[in-house]
Amino acid sequence: MSATTHRRGLLAAAGLLAVPSVAMAQASAPRPRITVISQWSAGSDGAAISRLGEVFTAEGGVWEHNPVPGFTTEMMNKLRADILAGNPPAASQLKGPEIAAWSRIAPTVDLTQLVAAAGYEQVVAPDLARLHKPQGRWAALPLQVYRTNTLFASRRAMERVGATALPKTWAEFNDLAARMKAAGITPVANGGIRWDDGQKFECALAGINPATYRKAIMELDDGALRGAEVLGAFRQLRMISEWMDPAASGQHYSTFLPRFVRGEMGMLMMGGWAQGVIRHAGFSDQDYLVGQVPVDNGRPCFVLNADAFIFWRRREPEFQAGQTLMANLVMSPRVQEMYSQITGSIPVRTDMDLSGAGWSTGQREAAASLAAAVQAGQSVLSLAHNMAQTNQMSAAMIDVLTEFVHNRSLRPEQGQQRLAEAVEAAR
Amino acid sequence: MTPDPGPATAPAAPALDAPRAAARRAAARPAWRDAIGRWLPHLVLWPPLLVSVVHVLGFTGYTTWMSFTASTLMPDYEWVGLRNYTAVLNSRNWQIATDNLLIYGAGFVVLTTALGLLLAVLIDQRVRGENLFRTIYLYPMAVSFVVTGTVWAWLLNPSIGIQRLVRSMGWGGFRFDWLVDREMAIYTIVIAGAWQASGFAMALFLAGIRSVDADLYKAAQVDGAGPWRIYRRVVLPAIWPIFIAVLVILLQYTIKTFDLVRALTGGGPGIATQLPALVVYDLMFQRGLLGRGSAAAVMMLLSLLLVLVPYFGFMRWRRHREARHG
Repeated sequence: MSATTHRRGLLAAAGLLAVPSVAMAQASAPRPRITVISQWSAGSDGAAISRLGEVFTAEGGVWEHNPVPGFTTEMMNKLRADILAGNPPAASQLKGPEIAAWSRIAPTVDLTQLVAAAGYEQVVAPDLARLHKPQGRWAALPLQVYRTNTLFASRRAMERVGATALPKTWAEFNDLAARMKAAGITPVANGGIRWDDGQKFECALAGINPATYRKAIMELDDGALRGAEVLGAFRQLRMISEWMDPAASGQHYSTFLPRFVRGEMGMLMMGGWAQGVIRHAGFSDQDYLVGQVPVDNGRPCFVLNADAFIFWRRREPEFQAGQTLMANLVMSPRVQEMYSQITGSIPVRTDMDLSGAGWSTGQREAAASLAAAVQAGQSVLSLAHNMAQTNQMSAAMIDVLTEFVHNRSLRPEQGQQRLAEAVEAAR
Repeated sequence: MTPDPGPATAPAAPALDAPRAAARRAAARPAWRDAIGRWLPHLVLWPPLLVSVVHVLGFTGYTTWMSFTASTLMPDYEWVGLRNYTAVLNSRNWQIATDNLLIYGAGFVVLTTALGLLLAVLIDQRVRGENLFRTIYLYPMAVSFVVTGTVWAWLLNPSIGIQRLVRSMGWGGFRFDWLVDREMAIYTIVIAGAWQASGFAMALFLAGIRSVDADLYKAAQVDGAGPWRIYRRVVLPAIWPIFIAVLVILLQYTIKTFDLVRALTGGGPGIATQLPALVVYDLMFQRGLLGRGSAAAVMMLLSLLLVLVPYFGFMRWRRHREARHG
C-alpha cells in the first residue's frame, strides 16, 4: 500500500510540474504541439506510441507522429533529411551514443531544468543518464529499458535433461548445454543475424566480468581488449556457436520459437522483448524459465538497451510547450507504466513498483535486477544494440564477432586479435 | 541502358502512301496545331533530359566531392584527400566484397549466358507452345530481386528447403547446405541470380538466332551440316554481337547487385557474402560515414566504367567499320 501511495505522490508531483507549463503555454500561445518521428509503426511498439499520443492529446496537446517503418537507420535517414532541410521534428527516436553524435549537428532542447525539477536523474541508471546528457545537458529522455542478457530456457528441454533451475555461472551453463546436446536437443537457439551474434558475445563477456566489459567494450581500453577475460569471452562464444543449429543462417530468432517451446531447442539468450514476442506467437509464459544469463560473480549484471526521444530545438512557442509537456509525460511513472506494459520492457525509473497485475514475472525480475545491478555497479551498456559505442564503432566490432561465430576455423585468439585491430582501425 | 539488339530487327518497309496522306492532313490543319506539333517533341524530350542530367551528373559529381571530404553523419566540406579511399580499401569488408564480386561476376555471367543460350537453342527447335515456354522462362525477370532472394532463401535453407525435401524422400545423407556454408554461400547468389536473369539472356539470344538469314541455314544444310554443326559454325558466329550485349548487361547487373544478397543471405553467414553495393549502403546509412560510403560508391562507379567504356569503344569501332564496308 505504501508503495502505491508513493507512486501516487510522484504522479501528483509530475502532474503539478506539467500543469503550470501547460498553463503558461496556453496563456501566450495556442495548444502545445509536437511532431515525432520514430520507427515504431506496428505491433506492440506501434500500439505503445499510439497510446502515448492519446495521453498527450488528453493533456490538451496536438500530436503528430510520422512513423518510418523498417530499420532504425531508415528513420535516421528521414531525420537527417529533415535536419538538412532546417525542419527537424520536435522530438525523434534516437538512442545510445548517437544522441551525442547527432546533438552536435543540430541544436537540441536543454531539458536540464525539467529533469532537475522532476528529480528524475536520481532514479535513472547512471550510465543511461550519461548517454542522454551530452556536454552535461539533458538533450534526450530514455523511454523504456530492456535487458539484453536475459536467458530463456525451454521448460520441456529442461525437463528432458532433469534440470530445474537456470544455470548461474558459465560453467553450469556449459554443463547444462552439454547434457542437452547429449539428449539430442539443440542447446542454443540463435538465428545468426549480426546483432544476434554480437549479443551472444556481450552476454559472454558481461557474464565473465562486468568490470572488464566496461573497460573493454565501453571504454575501449586496449589492455582489457587484449586481456585474458576477453579471450575467455571468445572461448565461450566459440562454444555457444558450436551449440547453435548448424542450419541457421541469418534468421530472426522468432523463427525458432516453436522449436524452442517444443523442447527441441534448449536456451535462448535474447532481450526481454522476446517475452512479448513469445506471448504474441501464442505460447504461454509457463513454457519457459526466464532470468539473467550466467554471471560468474553471482551478482546481478544488467546489459542495458534503452529507447529514447531526443528533442530538437524549435522556435515556435507551440512546439516548445509541446516539448515540455512531452518531456514531463515521458518522465512520469504513469506513462512509463503504460508504455512498458504494452511493449514488455521495463520502466526507466528504478523506483517503480511492479507488483501490479499488469506486469509479468519476467518484467518484475528484470526490474529488480536493474535496481540491484545499479547498486552493485554492474549495469553496463549493450554493444550489439548500439548503446556502448557509436554505430560506426559498433558495426566494426560486430563485423568481427559475427564472422567469428560463423567461421568456426577461427581460433579465439584470432578473434580477439581481430577485435582489437578493428577497434584500432575504427577509432 | 538498352540492349543493342544487333542486326536482328530490320524495319518493315513503310507503307508507300504514308507521305501523301500526311501532306493531305497537314493542309487541313490549323496553324496552332502545327506549332504544337513542332514544340511537342521538345517539350517531351527536354525536361526529362535535363532532370536526368542534373540527377546523374549532378549527384555523381556531388558524391565524388563528398568522397574527398571528412563527412560523417552530415556533409562536411573539409578536404581530406584520399583518406576515405585508403580506409575503404584497407577494410576487411571491402576486400571480401571485391573478392566476392569477382567470384559472383564470373559465375553469374558464365552460368546465365550458358543457360540463356541453351534455352534459346531449345526453344528455337520450333517446339509446340513456344510462346508459353518463352513467357515462363522470361517470367523471373518480372519478379523483383527481393522476391527472388526470399524464395531462394527458403529453398536453399537446409532445414526447410531442398535438403529437407530430398531427405524426406528417403535419401538421408543428402547435403545441400551452401546457404549456411561460409565458403559456398556466394554460389547460392550465383544460382538465384542466374535463375532470374537467364530468361532475359534467352530472349536476346533467341532474337539473334531468329534473325540469322534463312539462306545461311539452307546453304549449311545443303552442305550436309547437322543441327549441332549449324549452330556452332553458322548461327553462333553470326550472332556474336549479342554475346557482347548480354555480357555487358550482365556485368553491370553484377556490379550493382544489392537487393538479391540483402534478401538471400543478408551478407552472411557472418560477412561472407558482402558485395560492394552492400558495403556502400552499410557505410553510408548504418554507420553514418558519408565520406567513406561515397568513396566506396565512386569506386563502384569506376568499376562500372571499366565495363562500359570498352563497350562504347567497341560500339564506335563497329559502327565505323560498318560505315566503311557499307
